[in-house]
Formats: sequence, structure tokens, C-alpha cells
Amino acid sequence: MAQIKIDNLRKEFGVGDDKVVALQNVNLEIEGDVFVSIVGPSGCGKSTLLNILSGIETPSSGKVEITQDRHDANPGYVFQAARLLPWRTVMDNLLFVQKDPDSEEARARCQKYLDMVHLGDKGDKYPGELSGGMQQRVGIARAFAVEPDVLFMDEPFSHLDAITARSLRRELHEMWAATGKTILFVTHDVGEAVELSNRILVFAKGGKLEDDINVELPFPRDAANEEVAVAKAQVLKKFEDLDLVAT
Amino acid sequence: MTAVTEKVPERPPVKGTEDSGLLRFVKKPIVARLLFPTLVIALWVFVDSLEISRVFPAPDRVLGFMWDELRLETLARTNLYETLGISLLRLFAGFAVSMVVGTAIGLGMGLSKSVDAFFHDWVMAILAMPALVWALFLGLVFGFGSTGPVLATILAGIPFVIINVREGVRNTPRELFDMASAFDVPRNRMTRHLLIPSLMPFMFAAARYGFSVGWKGLVLAEVFASDRGMGWMIKFWYDAHRSFAVVGYAFFFVIFAFFLEKFVFDKLYARAFKWRPAVGAIELVEEEIQESFIDALDPEGAQTLPDRDRLGDN
Repeated sequence: MAQIKIDNLRKEFGVGDDKVVALQNVNLEIEGDVFVSIVGPSGCGKSTLLNILSGIETPSSGKVEITQDRHDANPGYVFQAARLLPWRTVMDNLLFVQKDPDSEEARARCQKYLDMVHLGDKGDKYPGELSGGMQQRVGIARAFAVEPDVLFMDEPFSHLDAITARSLRRELHEMWAATGKTILFVTHDVGEAVELSNRILVFAKGGKLEDDINVELPFPRDAANEEVAVAKAQVLKKFEDLDLVAT
Repeated sequence: MTAVTEKVPERPPVKGTEDSGLLRFVKKPIVARLLFPTLVIALWVFVDSLEISRVFPAPDRVLGFMWDELRLETLARTNLYETLGISLLRLFAGFAVSMVVGTAIGLGMGLSKSVDAFFHDWVMAILAMPALVWALFLGLVFGFGSTGPVLATILAGIPFVIINVREGVRNTPRELFDMASAFDVPRNRMTRHLLIPSLMPFMFAAARYGFSVGWKGLVLAEVFASDRGMGWMIKFWYDAHRSFAVVGYAFFFVIFAFFLEKFVFDKLYARAFKWRPAVGAIELVEEEIQESFIDALDPEGAQTLPDRDRLGDN
């Protein structure tokens, strides 16, 4: 089980007149196997938050702390584009981020997660031989294959067509239910957030955490289900109340 | 669902737009490729038949000379194979130094602004200097031998290696490095499996340029700063007023460069870039559409359909 603590986090880019505040006064605590979505308009610091949590960027001030049961595990990361090494096969892409890439255990672990995303027989293919949806599946398998307690996902389905995205959402949810992870999922799609999450964090422009919503509906949630539609409408209403809807 | 995979019958060509038999024959890639040298030879034979000049190299004399040279029947003091051997040795020595030193400087310039500032103007100056100046200067300084030609090869090739490697470093895929950092991939693994492969296209360009430009620098230097080698041999036949021999030696050059390109660089390239997709983009789009359709029609069974295995197997 994992615990994420964010204390008075602030992130700025640039200096002087060009200074942009990406995040400010962010205080947050996330614990256990929860699926947390982070929503908000473009430029509200959603991706910056994930980049800071994963160590790609450093905070300007404040503190982030991630505690995992497995101390040697790094959080997994699924990016907007799959970000696979085009010159390495699918299996080698998964092994590339493993702690022990030459071991049989690592290979077996990677194979297990490739099977989970239904690409078990594509290990020896190069990414360029796969469709966009398949590449993103490889990206998801790569993140799960490091067997982290925490997974970060930055709009992983936004580049895909609606039907492929829907199918991948379902797969992701099944994997989350089967493996029990803390997932932080950035999206600009409120419907996607309601469908997947226990908890929705709403960020506003300027990087302020405006709202923290618990979605208490049973899984699996179908977008066509009335309760889900109502929950989505409620979250959208909060968006309007907070004046976050783009005009 | 069958409608998606069903093959659409080919539409017959519109009347009047069909190519004639001859045009179809000429348009074949292999015929088109052979057509140009055939036309050049025809033009050559034609110009020769006009008997404009006594020294004009007649095609049969050039071929006869090349055949004699291949059979070691030569008036020069070194035969074709010795000459080629001497020049190749110099070329490979110069090329190796260009690649090693050029790569080191290019990496430094790509990674550090101060290293870039230090070398930038000098690289541009070397690039701007005509190879003839190097050849004359090195001939004066080092006299006849191998030092001048090898240095000329290095000076001609190294700026291209430096610039290509520098651009390669500047164009490394930032998002892949971020991915590797997010997963905490060790630095040596990042260098081996991310940095070096991403530099490969630039290294290939560097090698190709370095080789061809180095080759030209070498030949020029051999004319002025050597008493052996391909360049010197061309000068020898020039002094002997044998234009057919000058052209014949130039052809040996071209043939050698062609073989090198076809059987060394192309093979290495195919090996290094075997990961580049062999399937066409159209097939990918088709697969994506098919996937969507199948998913929409049968959400539960979508992942197990054998059709999905088709991709990438051809």
C-alpha cells in the first residue's frame, strides 16, 4: 500500500516578467488502493504535478513524499504518447525500465503484463509495427511491469479514438482491480474521471487545488448508466460554479 | 463485419489514360535506372564520332585501358591494385581519425554551450577552406608521403562529422529521456540503449559525408603532396597526355564508391535500422479502424479475434 503526502507545494517556471506559476498551495494526502483523477482546464498544472511526483521536475518550494511498501520500487508512469524506444522490441521496451533486466524473473514479469494487455504474442514486434492503441497498451504494461505501488498516468487515452480509448479504460480498470495500486490519473475528460475514479481532484488555472470530490458509485461504471451520467453532471456543475469551463 | 475486410474490386482505368506498351516498359524502375547510363554512353559514342579533338577519350580506348589495368598491364610504376591499396589505407586511416575525433568534439559541442562556442568558428573555418588549399599547403609542409594525404582526408571530413554528431545530440528525443528518468533507469543503460541508438541516423550521415568528402580531399592531396595513390596516378596520366587513362581511373573511382555504398553502407544501414516499420501506414490505419469496429460490435470478444495478429507479420 502506498501513501502520497504533498505539503504546500509550489512550482514556478521562468524568471522575472516571464515567470509562470504552475502550482501553488497544494496540500494533499492520498492513501491506499484508490483511483484518483486530476481534472482541470489546460495549463492548470495537472501534468506538472505528476512530473514533480515522479521526479522529472523538482518543486520550487514545498514537499512531496511517497511511501511505498516496496521501498525499491519506483512509481510507474503512463504518458500521453506511449514513449516507447522505436529501436527496441516490445519485450525489450518493458525490460528497459526493469531493475533487473537480464533476469528470467523480469522477463516472466513483463510477459505476464503483456498478457494482461492482450499483447502476449507481440513481444518480438517493434513499436512501429503496432497501431496507436497497441502502443499505448505496451505503455500501460510497462508501467505495471515495474510492479509499483503507485502509478501516474498523464492523459493516456487522449490521443486515441473514442472506441479504442473506451476499450482501454475498461482494461485499465480491470488491471487496477486485479493488482491494487494507487493510481493518479490526469485527464481533461470529466466523463472519463467519473467512470474510473474513487476520487476527483479539481485544479483551477494558476495551479490551485479547488475541489476534492469523492465518487461513491459501484464499479464497473458504464458511461451510459444513469447514476454515472448524474455524477458526471454534478462534477460539471462544480466546474461551472468554480468558473472553470472554457468559454 | 465482413464488409470491413472485404476487398473492393479494382476500378478499370479510364479510357485514354492508359500508358502505351513502350512507356510502360520505360517506366519500370530497373529500365529507368539503366536508361540514363545507356543514354550517356550513346551520347559519348556520338560525340566521339564527330572527331572534334585528337585527345578526346574514345569509349573503346577507355575500356581497353581499364581492362589492361585490371590485368596488371600498365606503364605506370605501380599497378591498379597497389595504387588502390595505398589510397584506401590512407583513406581509412584519415576516416577513422575523423570519426573518432569528430564524434568526441561533436558530442562535446552538442552537450555544452561553452565547448560549442570554443570550436564553432574553427569548424566553420575548416569547412570554408577549399580542399585545394589544404592539398597545396600540406604538400609544402610535409613533402611527398602519406602524412599530407591522410591529414587532408581528416581536414576534409572532420567538419561534417562534428556538425552531424552535434545536431544528433541536439535532436535527442527529450521525451524518451524523461520517460527513462521517471522509471529511474541507470545512466549507463540510458547511454547504451537510448542515447547511442538515437544518434545512429546522424552517425550514419556523418560517416557517409566523412567518407565521400574525405575521399575527395585525399585524391586532391595525392595530386600535389604524394608520389603514389589514385590522385597521383591520375596526375601521371594527365602528364602523359592520356585522356582515356584519366577517364578510366576516374571510372575505377566511381565503381569503387558505388560498391562501397551498395555493399557496405547500405548493408550496415539495413542492419542498424531493422526496427523501422516494414508495414505501410495505410495498413496501420486499416487495422485501427477494424479494431474500433470490432470493439463496437463485440466489446467482450474484441481482444481475442485472430484478425489482430495480422499486423506486422508481413
